[in-house]
Amino acid sequence: MRDIKPSLAAANKTFPSQFNPAIGFIIDTVGSYRDHERGNFEFRSGEMGLSANIDPFTRGYAIINGTPEGLEVEEAAIVTTALPYSLTVKGGRFFADFGRLSKFHDHDLPFVNRPVVLDRFMQGESQGDGIEVSYLAPTQQYLTLTAGMYNKIGAENERVDNLVPRDFSQFTYLWRAATFLNLTDNNSIDLGASYAYTPKVKIDQGGNRHLAGVDLTFRYTPLSQASYRGLSWGTEFLYNHENRPSDGFPEEGTESEEPLHFKPRDAFGMYSYIEARLSRRFYPGFLFDYAQGIDRAKGTTAYSPYLTIWASEFQRLRLQYTRLEEPGNRENQFFLQWTVALGSHVHGFRDR
Amino acid sequence: MTRIALVLLAVLLMVPVSLKGADRKIQAVATIPDLADMARNIAGDLIDVTSLATGVEDIHAVPMKPSFAVLLNRADVVILMGLEIEHAFLPALLEAARNPKILRDAPGYIDCSVYVTPLDVPTRLDRALGDQHPVGNPHINLDPVRGKDMARALADGLTRNYPEYEATFKKNLDTYLTTLDAAIARWEQEAKPLHGIKLVSYHPDMLYFAERFGMEAVGTIEIRAGVDPTPGHIAELQERMRREKVGLVVRELHYPAGLAETIAQSTGATLVELPAMVGGVPEAKDYLSFIDYNLRTVLKAVQKGT
Repeated sequence: MRDIKPSLAAANKTFPSQFNPAIGFIIDTVGSYRDHERGNFEFRSGEMGLSANIDPFTRGYAIINGTPEGLEVEEAAIVTTALPYSLTVKGGRFFADFGRLSKFHDHDLPFVNRPVVLDRFMQGESQGDGIEVSYLAPTQQYLTLTAGMYNKIGAENERVDNLVPRDFSQFTYLWRAATFLNLTDNNSIDLGASYAYTPKVKIDQGGNRHLAGVDLTFRYTPLSQASYRGLSWGTEFLYNHENRPSDGFPEEGTESEEPLHFKPRDAFGMYSYIEARLSRRFYPGFLFDYAQGIDRAKGTTAYSPYLTIWASEFQRLRLQYTRLEEPGNRENQFFLQWTVALGSHVHGFRDR
Repeated sequence: MTRIALVLLAVLLMVPVSLKGADRKIQAVATIPDLADMARNIAGDLIDVTSLATGVEDIHAVPMKPSFAVLLNRADVVILMGLEIEHAFLPALLEAARNPKILRDAPGYIDCSVYVTPLDVPTRLDRALGDQHPVGNPHINLDPVRGKDMARALADGLTRNYPEYEATFKKNLDTYLTTLDAAIARWEQEAKPLHGIKLVSYHPDMLYFAERFGMEAVGTIEIRAGVDPTPGHIAELQERMRREKVGLVVRELHYPAGLAETIAQSTGATLVELPAMVGGVPEAKDYLSFIDYNLRTVLKAVQKGT
């Protein structure tokens, strides 16, 4: 029995189920306490992931997320696997290739909450309905170039309606370049630059929007001790430039009596975190957040030391304290996050 | 000007195609140095092979570097040990590499486990049993007899892709297997003092080595594969080692030193530290010297303990 060949084991599966997609499920829960909002148990998400090859030319995947707000198809995309010239085309609903942590699902973040700058400028994950083309350059140096076109980018971006047809000037266009520098066997840097442009933001009565970002991730991963030692330092800078009405938008459901005067508004934000791997289980870290308001309002700053404990590869606990300082509010926040993964698990290139 | 630019673009796009001439070597990427060494022995001057791992890594934790995607993008074949041992890095890298020739089960995907009957195939898959090896224990490179099966699979994979070189691959494989057979006969003779010796290893990767050389792998420091031990498990392991007179503690070099030393000292066992791949120590510069190093190191430890 010990020597059963894998082919014999495979034959034990029933024929109809042999082409079922890989299925995984992630449960992400947080217990929180905030000075002003007090305590709460937050069921953040129960997220099902499905993936499979479709045919010799494409694969598909979907992420269906259940949250207290309801059930949502967070991602459902088709990806080519056999195009020439190292091209990949992705279509459907997916996280647009902007920056680094914008493409991470909430439970995959290195800390409990999404950095303020990403929540404010990107509005959640970089979810978009659209199409994206990615090219791996034929160079010794790793270099990928991406171009995309979407209805909008931002999972919680309510400034653009996903369901309403639009002119070409009302789509959001993205360009990104990313490279990798292998400094030594143990040290490396991932570097990327992203730019998203919406010529006319329809709901904002024609104001255009530019969002640019630079992301850098330094990793120290000693090859002989990679499971037990390491250091990661990740930083992103984002810059938002758009035309906003100088007197603000009229209230929802009303119209302005006078034509709106648009003025350019710039906003800047960033986050930077450092995380150490002290053993297979213990990963202490620190996150610094800073983001201005889109209307150039005063900035929000947050400081978050945290400790991630990996009970196993599939179960994680995280303790985090956040000191939040924003105009009109200074708050201490405490979090205990518990996240588990059931079923199929994939070590993704995007989420490394 | 536009016409010139279009012509230049067309020429640039043709350049990768025009380099794939008859004199171009087979571009191979192996996941571990053991396979790279076998590929060089079998294909000789016909192949340029690069290994993703250097040999010092835990094969379950080889970093997923984007530079590996560039190597795989240009590869004609990828050579892997198989049995899902590379699951932590290879599938994602193959996706990032955008090379349809080497996707899973494509002709250029050379799985060197296809002729190996694995040990310890689970009868039940359940995460409560740790990060199981779902199709059986994959650490087959530590057994030189299974190493022969790996070499055969490698040669067949290269022949599948390059039938015009079949005769060369077969001749070189026969030479390599003859060398391996002679070494195996010598090792089995030298390993007689190991018969019946019980060992504990950090991770369950000594199973094939133990079986080949008449030893018995009775347990692991990890509570389950991929799960660090609890104090309770360590205490139980130490008790079992004393009861069953386990003489050796094997620390694979990519695991922490302190705990293995403590367990060895507390139970009177001898600690032995071994590489898990070619390149794991300077002396293990190819597959033969890797097995040789491991056997000699274990023999020295057993002789020291008696």
